[in-house]
Amino acid sequence: MQALIGGFAEVFTFSTMFWIVTGVTVGYILGVLPGLGKATGVAVSIPLTFYLHPVAAIAMLIGIAKGSTAGGAVSAILLNTPGEPSSAPTALDGYPLARQGKAGKALKMGLYASVIGDLLSTIVLIGLAAPLASYALLIGPVELCAILVFSLTFIGGLSGKSLIKGLIAGCLGIAFSTVGLEIETFIPRLTFGMLELDDGVKLVPMAIGMLAVAEMIVQAGNIRKLDAETAEIGKSNRREDRNLSLEDWKVCAMPIIRGTFIGTVIGILPGLGASVASFLSYGAARRAADRPEEFGTGRIEGVAAAESADNAVIPSSLVPLFALGIPGSVIAAILIAAFVLHGLTPGPLMFKENPTMVAAVYASMLCASLAMLVVGSLGQPIFARIARFPIRLIIPGVLLLCCVGAYMETSSLFSIYIMLIFALIGFFAKKFDYSFVTFLIGFVIGPQVELTFRQSLQLLNHDPTRLLQHPIAAVFIVITLVTLVLMARSRRNQPEAPGVATTKSLNQGGEI
Amino acid sequence: MRRANIYSGGFLALLGLAMILFVIPAQIEEGPAGMMSPRLVPQMIMGLMTALSVMLVVRNLMLPDDGEGSPVSRSEYIALLKIGSVFALALVLFYFAGPLWAGLAIVLGSLLALGERRPLVLVLMPIALLAGVWVLFYRVLGTAIL
Repeated sequence: MQALIGGFAEVFTFSTMFWIVTGVTVGYILGVLPGLGKATGVAVSIPLTFYLHPVAAIAMLIGIAKGSTAGGAVSAILLNTPGEPSSAPTALDGYPLARQGKAGKALKMGLYASVIGDLLSTIVLIGLAAPLASYALLIGPVELCAILVFSLTFIGGLSGKSLIKGLIAGCLGIAFSTVGLEIETFIPRLTFGMLELDDGVKLVPMAIGMLAVAEMIVQAGNIRKLDAETAEIGKSNRREDRNLSLEDWKVCAMPIIRGTFIGTVIGILPGLGASVASFLSYGAARRAADRPEEFGTGRIEGVAAAESADNAVIPSSLVPLFALGIPGSVIAAILIAAFVLHGLTPGPLMFKENPTMVAAVYASMLCASLAMLVVGSLGQPIFARIARFPIRLIIPGVLLLCCVGAYMETSSLFSIYIMLIFALIGFFAKKFDYSFVTFLIGFVIGPQVELTFRQSLQLLNHDPTRLLQHPIAAVFIVITLVTLVLMARSRRNQPEAPGVATTKSLNQGGEI
Repeated sequence: MRRANIYSGGFLALLGLAMILFVIPAQIEEGPAGMMSPRLVPQMIMGLMTALSVMLVVRNLMLPDDGEGSPVSRSEYIALLKIGSVFALALVLFYFAGPLWAGLAIVLGSLLALGERRPLVLVLMPIALLAGVWVLFYRVLGTAIL
């Protein structure tokens, strides 16, 4: 608690608060624009934070992630085109409400549910990460290697429609992480004689290419459809349709609490992601409702349930990152680059080595939740207008920012080439349903997987039976195998899920 | 998706084999004696990827044809080509004219490629975006990016 107060003292400066509000606002705008998600926003913005104070930089990026999650509800409600798949359940009742002229009411409930879900989940993160990290310090390389392999398998299995393709994407991610000088012998690997690759492939241009540029190309290919959807927005001026009543709050209180709980738990588990949480929460609210058949026709609690769960996922998905150093989501994977860049290496040791910074990050996350409320409340009329912006005017600006961001990483054109190569890979990965999320997470944890694998081989003296002396590792290996079998069976028995009308359904790459 | 899976799986299996047989031996030296080979993990991962790709191909070959076409639509290929051309032009301009012209090519080129024809937008947007980047980095953040 003392540390958290110290963190607030560091955050309550004009500069940091300014960047938090800027981050939330930028995030909100990105979320509102169909097709521009939180991962794109954070990836493009990392280089913009190079010159900021570490706390302000991380606070801004967290603000973007939080803001864009909340902003996704605006396009879901107004356009029936969620910017992110996780906002799709919001559209199920939000759009019918908008068509009934109650867009204002739906937008407000979406915002409040988002803020409550986000705030409570942030508190869970603060309460849970440090105690978990203290246990994580007891884990050795053998155990860590098994946990990393389990996480990647789990994420690979859940992030796309095909388990095999998810695993292939994870393998490719690890393969790209081996490029550069090898850590023990300093022998260059797969550098093709290029000195720029000695340090390996940089995450920022890679993430910008795969997430942002590839996404813009997909959007550009579907520009007519998106413009047509934008042109269909309706408007209402009735006061009761714009404001929430006490009755609305009574109806929505339970779905919000339930949604927050579901979102928080799903966020902590690596790989499940915001879409699973929002759909589960929406389904739970529907089952608990007195007239479930009315869901999908404009029930306000449908919006509340989906949005609270969607937003609760972001903070709690940082629990495995902070406690174990394992990114459980694509946002966490990208944030690793920002954390390291600004002197904070995520993992159990950060609570011992850098407690002040951790406290400042927590404080900035809480401030970002409140900033979301202020920015969302004040900016809703403006964001509703932004949702009508044609995508052809947005793409050029995003492409320019992508180039600036990638260039800044190394101040050379080499980063632009990396960005373009991965844009191409990302484009085909999205379209052919090879989870780029698993790819990126594989790339991020790849060096750790290799290091712990090498250490494990030495510790076990190349004798697999010695695994029995490491029961935690053995348990995780068994769980990995069981998970693989169960996932393979469920995929075989499960018909392909019907697509939800989201801009991301233009892509196949999966989302976490 | 069946056909796409067969083609992509086949491509990745061939890529994996090429990596194991040719690229990794040519690009990664064997480590010093007594140390673990630097080739170990790349070869293991490529072996796993090849095996998974073969599995993907075999599984999809056993499925009935779903009649689905390419997952990439014609308009998406055209968009890829257009935006690729814009980047190519920007890179050429970066080398021969400078970064300002490259930035201009990205904004103006993509506006034109995406069908924008209003003269006012074509003039004002590149100016506004490039000026915005300049203000953000050189004034607000106080740093030179070039």
